[in-house]
Amino acid sequence: MIQRIVSRKFDIPDAHRIDVALLHGGYATLSKAFAMEPDAITTEIERSGLRGKGGGGAPTGKKWRLMPKTISPSYLVVNADESEPGTFKDRQILQYDPHLLIEGIIVSAYAMGADHAYVYIRGEYKAFHDRLVEAVEEAYERGYLGENIRNSGFNLSLSVHRGAGAYICGEKSALLESLEGKRGHPRLKPAKPECEWYFGHPATVNNVETIATVPFIVQEGFEAYRAYGTDQSPGTMLFAMSGHISRPGVYELPFGLRMMEVIDELGGGVKNGKKLKAVIPGGASTPVLTAEEAEKATLDYETLSAMGSGLGTGGMIIMDEESCMVKALHNLLSFYRHESCGQCTPCREGTGWVDTLIRHILAGRGDETHIQTLLDVSKTMNGQTICVFAPAVSGVINAFVKKFRPEFEHYFQRSEG
Amino acid sequence: MSFTFNPINEEKIKKLWGEYPKKESLTLPMLWMAQYQEGWITPEAIRTIAARLELSPSHLFGIATFYTMFRLSAVGTYHIELCQTLSCALCGKDALIEHLGKKWGIRPGETTEDGRFTLSLVECLGGCGGAPMLSLNETYHENVTPESLDALLEGLS
Amino acid sequence: MNNVTITVNAQTLSAPEGSILLQVLLDNGVSVPHFCYHEALGVDGNCRMCMVEIEGQKRPQIACNTRVKEGMSIRTLSDSIMAVKRSILELELINHPVDCPICDQAGECSLQNYYMEVGLYESRIDRADKVRKAKKVDLGSHVILDQERCVLCARCTRFTENIIGTGDLVIANRGNHACVTTFEPQGLKADGYAMNVVDLCPVGALTSGDFRFHQRVWFLKSDPSLCHGCARGCSIFIDHYPQKYGDDLIYRYRPRVEREVNGFFICDEGRLSYKNHTGDATLTTPRYSGTAITLSEALELYHQKLAASGSGVVALASPSLSCENLTALRDYCLQYAIPLFGVERGSFDETFGDDFLRLNDRAANRSALPLLGISEDESEMNAALCAASLVLNFDNQTPVSVDQIHFCVHPIDTRELQIPIAPYTEQSGSIINAFGKVQKFASTIRRRHPVPPLHELLSTIKGLA
Ligand SMILES: Cc1cc2nc3c(=O)[nH]c(=O)nc-3n(C[C@H](O)[C@H](O)[C@H](O)COP(=O)(O)O)c2cc1C
Ligand code: SF4
Ligand code: SF4
Ligand code: SF4
Ligand code: FES
Ligand code: FES
Repeated sequence: MIQRIVSRKFDIPDAHRIDVALLHGGYATLSKAFAMEPDAITTEIERSGLRGKGGGGAPTGKKWRLMPKTISPSYLVVNADESEPGTFKDRQILQYDPHLLIEGIIVSAYAMGADHAYVYIRGEYKAFHDRLVEAVEEAYERGYLGENIRNSGFNLSLSVHRGAGAYICGEKSALLESLEGKRGHPRLKPAKPECEWYFGHPATVNNVETIATVPFIVQEGFEAYRAYGTDQSPGTMLFAMSGHISRPGVYELPFGLRMMEVIDELGGGVKNGKKLKAVIPGGASTPVLTAEEAEKATLDYETLSAMGSGLGTGGMIIMDEESCMVKALHNLLSFYRHESCGQCTPCREGTGWVDTLIRHILAGRGDETHIQTLLDVSKTMNGQTICVFAPAVSGVINAFVKKFRPEFEHYFQRSEG
Repeated sequence: MSFTFNPINEEKIKKLWGEYPKKESLTLPMLWMAQYQEGWITPEAIRTIAARLELSPSHLFGIATFYTMFRLSAVGTYHIELCQTLSCALCGKDALIEHLGKKWGIRPGETTEDGRFTLSLVECLGGCGGAPMLSLNETYHENVTPESLDALLEGLS
Repeated sequence: MNNVTITVNAQTLSAPEGSILLQVLLDNGVSVPHFCYHEALGVDGNCRMCMVEIEGQKRPQIACNTRVKEGMSIRTLSDSIMAVKRSILELELINHPVDCPICDQAGECSLQNYYMEVGLYESRIDRADKVRKAKKVDLGSHVILDQERCVLCARCTRFTENIIGTGDLVIANRGNHACVTTFEPQGLKADGYAMNVVDLCPVGALTSGDFRFHQRVWFLKSDPSLCHGCARGCSIFIDHYPQKYGDDLIYRYRPRVEREVNGFFICDEGRLSYKNHTGDATLTTPRYSGTAITLSEALELYHQKLAASGSGVVALASPSLSCENLTALRDYCLQYAIPLFGVERGSFDETFGDDFLRLNDRAANRSALPLLGISEDESEMNAALCAASLVLNFDNQTPVSVDQIHFCVHPIDTRELQIPIAPYTEQSGSIINAFGKVQKFASTIRRRHPVPPLHELLSTIKGLA
């Protein structure tokens, strides 16, 4: 099941040091890439069907084409904010193979014509930040970054920028606001698709894993990537498992595997031999699946979205038969209440209210109208806000309430009795 | 009480000045430096950074209060940030909070009387694979049990 | 920009292509509840209140972030869009104290108006635990904040950040703990424009410490006028209370939109200058030797003194007098061959002007002087004053060492003869601002015993001469 595209060097001791990385094929793609027209690289990425691994699954090549070539300087911004609960894959790249990320950055920046790259890394990832900074210094020393990289005539500078504790800064426009030194408020979306902007200059935001996948595609060709996965979900992804699972961790897998096969065979099944109750398939913001649904699920974009959920970041949270779904939802809603940027009304007030409603239910003070209010507020939070944070919360609420309603009712029955 | 960056930080600031198209981008880096230097972000540091970046102190305050890792008051010598989000909750973070509560007699958000330990509850740290987990002075510790926590704390000077 | 045709609730409108839909709707009298959008501050899109239905769009859209396109069809009143607005307003109110009876904004509060308009009748706010915040924060510059009433529309912060550039006000914290604040206590200065945030605030979160609780707004009458605080001549509303058995009282000045002059704002000093024109701030009876006298006694004295001074009389006019008053004064002086000067020492204040509205020239009508042929030659004036035995001072602040007769708006600490003339608030007239714009103002304040405007008084004096 396990594949080795971005995780190829993960098991090699000290692969984070440039000498070791070089011994194992690090930066090998550069000579091929620099011999290509930048546009040809973008075409290669387009053909590979590479989709963004930050949670949205947007086609990467298409996104790169949005960069206007006429405004300079322009920027590649790598999203290492990884804060979606249940997600801990990008840190593996930062920790075990930071040079793969740098290599991907060089190739991607060359393809889109970016002059400067930033890696925005969540503040809590201090250790991974330090490791990446070290790798960047090594890369500068060896001439992989800076002026005229490996005599290609291509210049690229790279800075590592630390966040400071704000989940919403993973949203690409909030990330750029934060990079501009402001509060991380997501920006209003433009009427037509366009690139992002950093101080009024073109910018592309890509996830760490997305960028780390680029060298393979350029080196081996788009068909090699498409050899994995499904038609609509080509290639592989770093899937993670946590919660009630015997062997939690991160595994690189081709898209399209049966979810239960992964949980049982790689994850060793539900912890302590318990039965499965539910799986959150791709980070906290993807709607929860029941055990029956998990049986039918495969790990690809199309199947999970057809089931009313999503592939998200591929971070599965496994919950056993004894888990209380009301408490689980409450846990997530406190998270969202804490992390809403507070800019728009439905989200700022909605996240607070739904959290309160669940608290009332848990305290035995709830009744039918609480559930109705919960669903009403959830509806108001959907599709009427600046960013998709609030709609995601809405999806989370709806799935929990619809699929596990008796558990909620159980709490208010308690107060009557 | 005035605030100035120490020479090492001044050196860093000089370097960073060239890495961004506008100096406003130095806001977060400079707040970080101030926090490492003083242990927390003092009002004087806010005024100093605001002046350096030609921003209003209010603006800086708005930023410092947006990001939860920025501290506007001092914490203990050892700061435990314990993850309270779903995977850690499923795997027993409550037992750890209870354990520390008994051990130190403090609740989350409080500091022990001797000023040595502060316990904070934080949201998912991206360590779910090692749940429950915590960060002690910015170093991750995963698969924590009450026993391993005791051992960890005993090892501290 | 091309004009295009759009349909709004089955009515057809023409609007420039690409203009902001919300603005177009508001300009055409279509009511759309909104908090964060303001013409002067631009689009922010945070309140989500301005939802409309656009034909062909799956979801409702915010009108402030929608640009007008040919053939657009918009609905603002359908059941489904009303339901959306209701649900958003409900969230807006969830942390709001709804203490309208004791709120100073009551009567001019958007929240209150929208509540009625959208019809949010059934309240389940009891199912929420309100987030408690500070109820009375003195932000400085006479601005008081009630954080619980704030809907976080960011109008006030965008004003200090983007319009004034001082960034004194900021939103701190995040999520539903977000609140407006300043870093330094009473840190709101906004370079002397702070109180505009009170007008911008759509709810009762920001109130004027100067006005707050002095009067319920529904008792007030608003009339347009012009600030005379400097040579810009900002457009204002004078909000006053017509007392049944007494003089009208002025409670506040507010900016009135005048794109060519002041846009949407006025300075704090101008705003607070109403205090100089209300109640007993102005002179209402003539005075001599420290006691009140009648107008006929005063005019009697005036003529005696005038006769005694022979040809040694010089007149000084305030460059803030209206064109009508200056014209009458010029004609009067010509008739009696009294040299007249429009120079006023101290009326240029180098510390006052800025690059926004305030001008160093503190006279409201200096531009009229050359047009009326009134001398602005300071050395001639000095020479004339040296030779003078009596100065007729028409509200001019220039220090003078010879005997004077004062025709003044405000009482002066002197034993010399003072004859009251009406302030600009109590007469109509016109002034020409520093940029040559002629602006008219009307009389707004009624007194039971009105003081005559200068031009009227002069015609009386003429009659007696
Ligand atoms: C609330 C929210 C949080 C997000 N957090 C992250 C994150 O931590 N890391 C990430 O790469 N993308 C995150 N995203 C997605 C980004 O907005 C963006 O789509 C992504 O970084 C683009 O890169 P990709 O196309 O390579 O995935 C988040 C989006 C939202 C709405
Ligand atoms: S939806 Fe929530 S997180 Fe997104 S901009 Fe609005 S308040 Fe901020
Ligand atoms: S104080 Fe008033 S203007 Fe400022 S954010 Fe709050 S509601 Fe808006
Ligand atoms: S700028 Fe001048 S005219 Fe305008 S309000 Fe201020 S003092 Fe009055
Ligand atoms: S849930 Fe605790 S680290 Fe992710
Ligand atoms: S006015 Fe349109 S969102 Fe606030």
